[in-house]
Parts: sequence; C-alpha cells; structure tokens
Amino acid sequence: MGDRVIVAEDLVKCYPRTNGKSGEKKTSKPAVDGVSFEIRKGQIFGLLGPNGAGKTTTIKMLGTLLIPTSGGATVLDHDIVKDYMEIRKRINIISGGDRGLYYRISGRQNLRFFSDLYRIPRRLRDVRIEELLQKVGLEKAADQRVEEYSRGMKQRLHIARGLVNDPDILFLDEPTIGLDPEISREVRGMVRDMSKDGKTLLLTTHNMNEAEELCDDINIIVGGKIVAKGTIAELKEAVRKKSVIEAEVRRMTPDVIEAVHSIDGVLNVACSSDAYRSILRIQVADGQDMVLPIAKRLENCRIIRVSREEPTLEDAYMSMVIGDA
Amino acid sequence: MPNLYAITGSFKKQALDFIADPQWIIPSLVAPFTFTLVTLMIYPERDASIVLYAVLGGGILGMWSNSLRASGFSINYDRMVGTLESLMVTPTPLMEVIAGRAIWNALIGLLNSLLVFILAEVVFQTSIRLADPLMFFIALAIILLSLSTIGLFLAAFFVFTRASSVLTQILELPIFIISGAMIPINLMPSWSWPLSFTFGPFWGVDALQIAAGVSSTSPIPVGYAGDLLILFAITAVYLTLTWMLFKKMDGKARESGSLGRY
Repeated sequence: MGDRVIVAEDLVKCYPRTNGKSGEKKTSKPAVDGVSFEIRKGQIFGLLGPNGAGKTTTIKMLGTLLIPTSGGATVLDHDIVKDYMEIRKRINIISGGDRGLYYRISGRQNLRFFSDLYRIPRRLRDVRIEELLQKVGLEKAADQRVEEYSRGMKQRLHIARGLVNDPDILFLDEPTIGLDPEISREVRGMVRDMSKDGKTLLLTTHNMNEAEELCDDINIIVGGKIVAKGTIAELKEAVRKKSVIEAEVRRMTPDVIEAVHSIDGVLNVACSSDAYRSILRIQVADGQDMVLPIAKRLENCRIIRVSREEPTLEDAYMSMVIGDA
Repeated sequence: MPNLYAITGSFKKQALDFIADPQWIIPSLVAPFTFTLVTLMIYPERDASIVLYAVLGGGILGMWSNSLRASGFSINYDRMVGTLESLMVTPTPLMEVIAGRAIWNALIGLLNSLLVFILAEVVFQTSIRLADPLMFFIALAIILLSLSTIGLFLAAFFVFTRASSVLTQILELPIFIISGAMIPINLMPSWSWPLSFTFGPFWGVDALQIAAGVSSTSPIPVGYAGDLLILFAITAVYLTLTWMLFKKMDGKARESGSLGRY
C-alpha cells in the first residue's frame, strides 16, 4: 500500500434507467467515466465539479455503496467490491443537507445508535460521544430532538456521526452545502481538525474558496471524466497563459455581459453583483490587448475600475469546466 | 456472529421512535381493540370459545398488523429521512438492524394482545380461564419470534418496491384470515388451506387455542408440540429466505444505486 490509501483505476458507473412512459429499462450513459486517481494517507483530496459531474457517484463507489460497472478501486488495500465489509469498518461518509438523521430522537441517541452499528463497546461509546458532542459544539443540545435543530446544528451532528467509529478515511460530500458563511467556516475548521488528527479526507465541493482553503490535491471532474488534476498552484499555473481582467462597474445588464462575451479572444465571463456594483471576471487569451476593447463595451456602465488580475482557482475551474482550457 | 450491539441498539431506537410518534397507537392499539370490541358485541350469548376467538383474534391481529406495517414501513422510513445509505455504509448487515426493529414491533403487538385481554376481562367480564397458562405464553413467545421473522422478510421484500404502503393494506386482512385467529380455517374453502399451512402463525394460533383449552379446529390436528415444531420449521424457512433476500437486496441496491431515492 505504501502511503496510498485510496487507488481508483478507470472507474466507470452506468445506472440502470427506466423510461417513464414505456417502462423500458436501459443503461444510462456513464455517470462516472474512467476515473483514476490516488490519495495518500493524511491528505485532503478535493473532487471538484458542477452538479451531475459524478462526484457523489465516485464517493459512493469508494464508500462501498455502489458497485462500479467496470474498473476498480482499493481502499486501505481492500477491494471495494469483494472486501466491502472490511472497508466499512474503517471509513465513514458525511453528506451535506438536512437528511440522513433520525429527527424524532435526540442528537445523542442518533450517535448512540450509529455507534452500536460499529460494535463500539458501551463505555468507549459514551466517552467518545461526549467528546464528539463537545468537538462539534452540540453538548448543550445533545438531548434535544433533531427535528428542533437548525440546519447548522444538523450539519454538526452529521460530522459527529461520521466520526463515531474513529475512521481512517472520511468521505465528505459537499459538507457545507446550504450553510451560511459563519457555519461554513466552522465546518471548514472541523474538517481541518480531522486532517490534523491524521484522517484522510476526500472532499467534494463546488465551492472554490473551500477547496482552495482546504485541499492539498484537486481533481476536477466534468461529465464523469477527470479534466484536470494537481495541486492548487499547478491548476492555477495551467490557466496562467490566459489572463483575467476584472472590471468593476455601477450598472450591469445581461446584454452587456453578452456583448463582452462576444469580443474575439474572450473565453469566459463571470459576473457577481450586489446592490451597488457588479464585478465581471473575464478570462481572455491575452490580457494586454483586451483591456481597451472590454472597457469600450462597458462605457455605458459607469466603470469604477478595469484591471488585470492573477487567475484564481475559480478561474481555473471555470476554464476547465466550460472547456476552454 | 450477529452484531448484538446493533440488534439491541436498533431495538432501543425503534422504541424511542415509537414513543416519540404517538400516531402508532392507532394501528397498534386502537384498531385491534375496536376489532375485539365489535366481535364481542356481535355475540351477546358469549360462550367460552367465542370469547377466546375474539380475544385471541384481536391480539393476533394487533401483532400481525404491527409487524406488517412497522416492518414494511421500516426501510421506507429510512429512505424518507435519508438514513438508508448511512446504515448501509456501516459494517452491520442491514438484516441485523431491521431484526432489532422487527422484534420491537412484534413485542408491541404482544402488549396490544395483553390490553385486549384486560379489556375483555374488565369491560366485558368474560372470565377467560387458560387451561395451561405456561403453554399459552410459550406459544405466544414463539409466535412473536415467527412474526418478527415475517416482519424481517417483508422489510427486505419492500426494499425492492416503493409501493410498500399499498402492499401492507392489501396483505393485512387476507393473511389475518388465513392465520385462523378469528375464523376457524375449516370454515374456509379447502383450496385456501394450503395457504394457511405455509403461514407459521397459523400453527402458533392452533397451539394457543389448545393451551387455552379450546379444541383444535385445524384440518390437520397435530397437537400442541406438533404445532410448535411445525412453527419452528416454517420460521427457519422464513429466516433462510429472508437472509437470501437481504443478500440479493444488498447486491441489487449497490448495482442500481437506488438506496437514496424516495
């Protein structure tokens, strides 16, 4: 094994599909199509991609919930198809979202129940649950029913549930989805703590800041295929040849975005707005030559500034996801 | 070796869920209670065997309904709240998790039959006297085990379909009738008897009736010990089928990725 704890080789997954009208059964096009990667012990590995890219399917195959259609993988040197019970003892999956907890019973009762499924002796179980409740800041709400928990509290309980068996590997499937920035920051802190505790983490997300903040290595998956892989620095380097121009304006309309996008050499335009201003991040083939034509298209938008920027991970991601890389 | 932590933990969790959600009182307690009440009121001239049929019938109905509904709904509940995948990713086979729940469900049915018994005694002053209480309770305990196994089987079966609520409605009364708990099966057409013979609790009900002092109405009278022996054998068959079904379910669910859908 060396220090490689997860090795995925040419993983493919096609789901059986039923036609809603005729009831005819078919096999879908691959949700995951030839995915290969390796994860080293103690790493935080990020799997980035848009919705429907195949991130969750990949996690489910490695987490032994799905059998690959072809290809294979080992987790902690065990085959994901044949030795799944051995793998399950040493991994856990934490998902984002409201579901996945028993809401009529308390947080503590949820943790006790899931601990029992891992054959954890009663005394150790109770000590560990106390520690986990403190770690995720739920000690005061531990005996409250989960249905009374806020969204953030549920996510903290998800994290505690994922740690009840003290796993070597944790699969985190969009753990901050739907959380407000403050709770997201707390959850990211918890993820960092898990890494400090020596756990190997596979994190899926489409939040670039999160990936940039947490991940050692990143794979970008689009349409079931890995389109880019490397460290954050390496991914940024890959798009460095394409400069980014950032324009801050007072007024912005979809027509203007379209007009900017239509300029020869513009590869991608991303716009974020608040009540007072809009910021356009424009990926171009050559930044030096493009500032003036872009500024010209924006002249009716009350320009605050136009500047050339270093590409971020988000630029790299957008470039690869949209396919202009 | 089964994970006893998981079975007891699952039993406790089911109990907590039951207490937290009082709506279960209606199918588990109110319905069989009403059923017994109506039966007792239909027969103003209550001889001992009618009373026993009513009380046993109400009790067995409670146990059966509870196993059917609660175990049938068991996995769908996990689908609904999104916990099925969290269960499947643990090293405990799903069958052991559901076993703890099925035992609780059958036990609640037993509690219901005791309440029916008390109702008959207190409200209708039926003065039920059991010929052999020990034999009666042994038979009752084995029926409980058999119903738990049926609950397990149904839970596995219902993983393959999301129409479990419809199926539980359809299965409730016909199977109750073939159990012979309320209507002696020798009053039923003979073509229906083989259905009764393959349903374990039918033999258990016959053993209960013998232990209660009512003569057996089985078309194949095999006596108390014979009834229990057959009940054990059928329960063992159910258990084997259930194990196979759970195995198949596990493989199929991992193939199709349908666990998370509701």
